[in-house]
Amino acid sequence: MPDAGEVLVRAESVSKVFSSRAGDVRAVDELSFEIMRGETLGLVGESGSGKSTVARLVMGLQPPTEGRVLFDGADLASVRGREMRALRRRMQMVFQNPYGSLLPHYTAAANVAEPLRLHKIGDQDSRRKEALRLLDMVGVNPRFADLYPRQFSGGQQQRIAIARALALNPDLLVCDEPTSALDVSIQAQILKLLVDLRESLGLTCLFISHNLAVVERLATRVAVMNHGQLVELAPAEQLFHTPQHSYTQTLLAAVLPVRGAKAATLVDAPPVPEEEVT
Amino acid sequence: MTGPLLSVRDLRTHFVRGKETLRAVQGVSFDVEPGRALAIVGESGSGKTVTARSLLRLLPRTARIANGQAILRVPKRAGASGGHRRGSGSASDAHREVDLLALPERELRRVRGREVGMVFQNAMEAMNPTLTLERQLTEHLLWHGICGKTEARERAVRALGDVGIPEPERRIRTYPFQLSGGMRQRAMIAMAMLTEPALLIADEPTTAVDVTVQRQILDLLVEVKNRGTGIVMITHDLGVARYFCDDVVVMYAGRVVERAPTTALLDEPQHPYSVGLLGSSVELGDRARPLLPIPGSPPDLARLPSGCAFHPRCGRAELPRCQTDQDLVTLTDGRETACWKAVADA
Repeated sequence: MPDAGEVLVRAESVSKVFSSRAGDVRAVDELSFEIMRGETLGLVGESGSGKSTVARLVMGLQPPTEGRVLFDGADLASVRGREMRALRRRMQMVFQNPYGSLLPHYTAAANVAEPLRLHKIGDQDSRRKEALRLLDMVGVNPRFADLYPRQFSGGQQQRIAIARALALNPDLLVCDEPTSALDVSIQAQILKLLVDLRESLGLTCLFISHNLAVVERLATRVAVMNHGQLVELAPAEQLFHTPQHSYTQTLLAAVLPVRGAKAATLVDAPPVPEEEVT
Repeated sequence: MTGPLLSVRDLRTHFVRGKETLRAVQGVSFDVEPGRALAIVGESGSGKTVTARSLLRLLPRTARIANGQAILRVPKRAGASGGHRRGSGSASDAHREVDLLALPERELRRVRGREVGMVFQNAMEAMNPTLTLERQLTEHLLWHGICGKTEARERAVRALGDVGIPEPERRIRTYPFQLSGGMRQRAMIAMAMLTEPALLIADEPTTAVDVTVQRQILDLLVEVKNRGTGIVMITHDLGVARYFCDDVVVMYAGRVVERAPTTALLDEPQHPYSVGLLGSSVELGDRARPLLPIPGSPPDLARLPSGCAFHPRCGRAELPRCQTDQDLVTLTDGRETACWKAVADA
């Protein structure tokens, strides 16, 4: 296990403004946070709160408008060329829609081997062997390695996408709603897989979800976003038991329990601000 | 009133794909009472949406309703029977019974949207993007010949106000895309409820909205239910079923595997698939509970296992008995399961 006290990602008052004819949108508004090595930082919020923009900023896929993101001490906005390529190897992403994120004309094994090929690691045989090993690790029978993504179920596709994300042995795994498109029984399988992998590989994760229960299960610490701002950041246990910010309380109170007393546990939440209509 | 509002018996809907026949719904039966909500719960491919759409015959061209009855008791409307439309029966009883699956298309159109309202998952797709709310809502009333133009507009404004849309007088002039997701969902409920239908079918009405908005939409539907409307709610979310529905039907691979009052089903599921669904559900405060996913994935409808379709994934399966067809067996009043082992344990 890596040393837990070490900062892997540091966001320093990062903002992202998208400009359009309709005016500027501050998708992310002066966000500061750190992701420690070995921890899973959960990021929750409703649609439009800026969660996915944070994911892209952390991955260096988009430059921040203000502030900076440091990955292992390097400012993602200033690193270029060969150095950037070396950094990219160390951060990988898993998306919400597994089918959309896999190459449809590549087999499962080829999809998983592709990052190795792009980074010129090994030869064709060793890459294939590694791809089969990874597929086996995530629970896809290597017998099916030569099938195409559309021939797999959604859950199996997500496993393949996870295998691909792990191919380069990354330091950071960014998961953006990885189970939101999956059925309940499959969601549980993928969550279990992520927990097991994280433990066996000592992964550092940024785990983004609108599903609070899923985040509670996985996260070490949790950040709550609303309208581009960070409203609360606390260790998971603390955030879910004694939420401080009224927005976090509203969010938690809105979750419907499956087991236990019907609606009785639903305490009166602070009123939800009326939605605005443009 | 005697008897249920809607009574579905042995519904079978098939899809033709090349030379294959996909049995998406295989003999589904249930009742809906006025003022009560029934949840149809299941994963993708379980047949829950096809069941709902079969009731209104809103199915793709490749689908065929192969068998079944869906008897709806519709109230005889006094007065506003639509001047230019003829023939609505002449019996003097306050209700008449129609079979939604057998009704000629022309007559079905007078029932669909009027006696049975429908709310879809995505209002953006369900509404016409080129029409203002006023046109969408009033057209509905005018088409069914319920009232004239001036009254239709008044009713539409009132309906938007009823579902909690602020400034309905102004909002009625907007287009669907100008509303937030939650507001659009409300507007769709307003549209469905304009004709005061006896039955509302809601297909994942809160799946596309945020949790805080979900609560508001469900509370709105609770009001609808309390006014006596019977509701069929299609959902994959057991939390929604618990919060809103009185009874639950669990579907797997086109069949009902369990039916029970909501709390009974969620507190003590009997069918191994229901047990698995509960075990797979993550919720707040149960971090310490180990996750118990159901192994494998739902079957391909073209290659269904024989007998109980769940048996290849079931930890309790005993062959060869589970390979024979399993019928729903009554355990206690209002509670049925299609697992012989669960019946033996009970």
